[in-house]
Amino acid sequence: MASVSFSQIQKSFGKTPVLHGISLDIADGEFMVLVGPSGCGKSTLLRMLAGLEDITAGSIAIDGRVVNELDSKDRDIAMVFQSYALYPHMTVRENMGFSLRLREEKRNLIEERVAAAAKILNLGPYLDRYPRELSGGQRQRVAMGRAIVRDPKVFLFDEPLSNLDAKLRVAMRSEIKALHQRLKTTTVYVTHDQVEAMTMADRIAVMNEGRIEQLGRPLELYDRPANLFVAQFIGSPAMNVFDGAVKGGAVEALGARWPASFSKSGGLEGQRVKYGVRPEHLEPASSGIAAEIVVVEPMGAETELVVKVGDTSLIVMTRGRSTAGPGDRIFLAPDPAHAHLFDAASGLRI
Amino acid sequence: MSAIAIPHPPLAPKRGLSTWQTWGLILLAPYVLVFLVFVLYPVSYGLWLARHPESYKTLFEDPVFFTTVINTIFFLLVAVNLKFILALYLSGFFVHERRWIRWLSVIFIIPWAVPAIPTVYSIRFMLNPEWGVVNSLLFRWFQIDGPNWLTDPQLAMAMAMLVHIWKALPFWTLILMAGRLAIPKELYEAASVDGASAWQKFKYVTWPSMRTLYVTSTLLSLIWTLGDFNSVYLLTGGQPADKTHVLATLGIRYIRLDQLDHAMATIVVALPFVLPMVYFMMKRLSGDEQKTS
Ligand SMILES: Nc1ncnc2c1ncn2[C@@H]1O[C@H](COP(=O)(O)OP(=O)(O)OP(=O)(O)O)[C@@H](O)[C@H]1O
Ligand SMILES: [Mg+2]
Repeated sequence: MASVSFSQIQKSFGKTPVLHGISLDIADGEFMVLVGPSGCGKSTLLRMLAGLEDITAGSIAIDGRVVNELDSKDRDIAMVFQSYALYPHMTVRENMGFSLRLREEKRNLIEERVAAAAKILNLGPYLDRYPRELSGGQRQRVAMGRAIVRDPKVFLFDEPLSNLDAKLRVAMRSEIKALHQRLKTTTVYVTHDQVEAMTMADRIAVMNEGRIEQLGRPLELYDRPANLFVAQFIGSPAMNVFDGAVKGGAVEALGARWPASFSKSGGLEGQRVKYGVRPEHLEPASSGIAAEIVVVEPMGAETELVVKVGDTSLIVMTRGRSTAGPGDRIFLAPDPAHAHLFDAASGLRI
Repeated sequence: MSAIAIPHPPLAPKRGLSTWQTWGLILLAPYVLVFLVFVLYPVSYGLWLARHPESYKTLFEDPVFFTTVINTIFFLLVAVNLKFILALYLSGFFVHERRWIRWLSVIFIIPWAVPAIPTVYSIRFMLNPEWGVVNSLLFRWFQIDGPNWLTDPQLAMAMAMLVHIWKALPFWTLILMAGRLAIPKELYEAASVDGASAWQKFKYVTWPSMRTLYVTSTLLSLIWTLGDFNSVYLLTGGQPADKTHVLATLGIRYIRLDQLDHAMATIVVALPFVLPMVYFMMKRLSGDEQKTS
């Protein structure tokens, strides 16, 4: 177990800068998720921590010790790759025991550890199989088993679930989380799936174009996104965002007045802003802003409506079922406490 | 193997062959013809020439033959293995993604790409003890008389092996490079994270993936090297005193002596070496592959 600290990390491939000075402290035992769109540099950052990429500038410390110059093999980390990277010529047992074997541990200690990991991951019946004889989900578990037998300082995961089908992904998500609660090993987990990030993380670092946009606990990011990018990245379906202007304690937009609570009182009158409101905070009401239903998508427990206010489509999430159909008029009454305002130019939260 | 679904044309009424089958035979005919004319006929003719038991008796009694067999075995064991160890090592170097290594690899391919006869002859001239460039330079730089490269039988054999390795190394390096490039990079990364040293990565990742290719290539190379006539004949011509022949060149010696039946007999004598290797290799290529890959 250990803390991890990135300070002012920069990375360039040739002349192309990819990471622009990332600083991030991960506490001992924390489950940190790096999330962001494809190509934002999450894997690169993780691979630098693993010692698989050089560090262009800045430093990385594990447990207070700078590891910039340390080989992967000396960093005492374990990594689960997206492709699993199981050794094809070794059985599940040999795959899982490989790192211990390299450390020249005693044979019965290796046996013991592998058996223990196999039990946690339900891999007992497959120990003598080769990776090619396993399903995707089983391979994924072997890859995790290979990591946990080592009892490393830090676990690294690079999109470990993206090759699984939706149902298995959800199941493995809770398995990994349960595993973390049990082992309490510091974990850095990379994903581009914000649902994975929200459900698994202690804290999330939202990355975009080589920078961290916001760092915080999942619900913090959800409730108080620091900027437009985070607002639209976190949450599914995504937040409704449209242009407006502050006028008399509300925002005029799409030909209507949208209520908002201003943290910074005054000085905003007339300013151009982006108004953001999550679909579930747009519940239909008996009066308010008029909208016309375009599409109704019942999902059982809740119903998703696509509505039009003026010419703009918005998404509305209502609890329970809706009897409304396309063409019906409804009223929206957004809760001012759940409205988000962003500066139109900088995209920063107001 | 999964069955490939070929759309069956409507079956013709039962009257001899269907059009489908007729076309099959027509398309097959050229291959059968080529096989008959270029494989079956010459092989049978050769066996026919080599049918007399006396040919073998004189062959076995010829002292040159005995030396040749020893030379051949020695040549195969040393040259092929040395070549493959070098190729395995060099393939690991050339797979690095550096621009200068790319360029170097292009230069490295040249010996394989150039025609054999002029190059081996020029090596022969270079190694001439009196006026060859090698010994001239040795004398000029170190004031020593170079050895008789091609007139000392052992040294001449060693030189022939060297020429063979120099000529064939690029090809096998390329083949083994292809094998290395087929290994996913993540396996090496996983091994690094698992704590493997460079040697351990070779032992546990590279070698298990390459073993089949390596052994199969070695077998193939053994067969080809057994038939490598150029490196020996063009360099030493079997000289001095017919002491540097291998089976491939011995046939030519007999043909020159107008003993066609002996020439054929040398080839037949090589068959007990070649056929098991061909069989073993075909077996590896067809069956074993699935088990190890
Ligand atoms: N070896 C490399 N050489 C050059 N550029 C690279 C290399 N590896 C990554 N990059 C570039 O660095 C950027 C970040 O890549 P990275 O793999 O970290 O993205 P990511 O956030 O993990 O994306 P994804 O979700 O698609 O995996 C990308 O623009 C990519 O093109
Ligand atoms: Mg990635």
